[in-house]
Amino acid sequence: MAQEEGQPILSEITCQEITQWVSAYLDEHVADERKRHIALHLAICAGCETYVKQIATVRDVVGLLPKAVKQPADSQRLRQAFVARAKRSPAGG
Amino acid sequence: MNVETSAVTESVSHRMVAGRKPELSQSAAVANGEVALLARLRQGNEGAFDELVTRHHSALIRMAMGYVADREVAEEVVQDTWMVVIEGLGRFEGRSSLQTWIFGIMIHKAKDRGVREKRHMNFSSFESADDEGDEAIDPSRFHQSGEWAGHWAFPPQPWDDQTPEKLLASQQAVTAMNRAIEALPRTLKDVLILRDVEGVETKEVCDILKITESNLYVRLHRARERVRQAVETHLEGRPSAV
Repeated sequence: MAQEEGQPILSEITCQEITQWVSAYLDEHVADERKRHIALHLAICAGCETYVKQIATVRDVVGLLPKAVKQPADSQRLRQAFVARAKRSPAGG
Repeated sequence: MNVETSAVTESVSHRMVAGRKPELSQSAAVANGEVALLARLRQGNEGAFDELVTRHHSALIRMAMGYVADREVAEEVVQDTWMVVIEGLGRFEGRSSLQTWIFGIMIHKAKDRGVREKRHMNFSSFESADDEGDEAIDPSRFHQSGEWAGHWAFPPQPWDDQTPEKLLASQQAVTAMNRAIEALPRTLKDVLILRDVEGVETKEVCDILKITESNLYVRLHRARERVRQAVETHLEGRPSAV
């Protein structure tokens, strides 16, 4: 029924508009009214539901990518500076 | 030294990182781990310092590259940043997170160095490039007219539940994603690295980059969309356009 009668609801907000709000929506940084419209749209639009899931996947995977450079070229010098600083003021002050 | 460290705004932020999948969430762990790490750093614990450097060095270099001419200069900028951090740890009051403070110092130093190097360039126009204007997604994926105008003409094809694990296990996919990130304009790359790679809270990202939240989400979404396109291309087995 929602499919047949769904056009007026769907047309309230287009898929193109929805996609602009996805990152803010995922972080819950949209106003309540807009959030409600987006949630309603997602409930009946498979394309947008898929899109939201994909953006969430990208967000999560980007944070888990292996790090390219693990240590500075001159990490020994930094460590020495850290130790020297700690000795000058053991409490860190 | 004081000038450099105080140039970075520290701010209180208790925002929840909403909507993250618990099993893949990093932000909460990073935030919680930071208190203990800071305590160890203040005790002069070398292991804690190594941990701090390992945790952030890669992202610092990646971001610094957007402001300066080459990798070598970026390394110098980040090395200088670490020296400021070492000297400033005792004065760090924890009003912002440790990582926000560190990234703020780096950006301050990198901008300074970048301005000196690129005096002939119009830095502010360079800064605002690709910020507003273009649509995040290729408009041809939507119906252009008729009763379905603005709705999907070519919707994304669902990825299966194992996609995150598969992507991370594939060297090709990792390379494709990294290339997409490296190809981002700096304004988009900064936001993606801080928010998604480093897990910095929204409010703190805005403070570091001196942008509004709505601006942050416009940039963040464009950045994520470009990485999503790279993943989509990879999964569909088409040659990468990135």
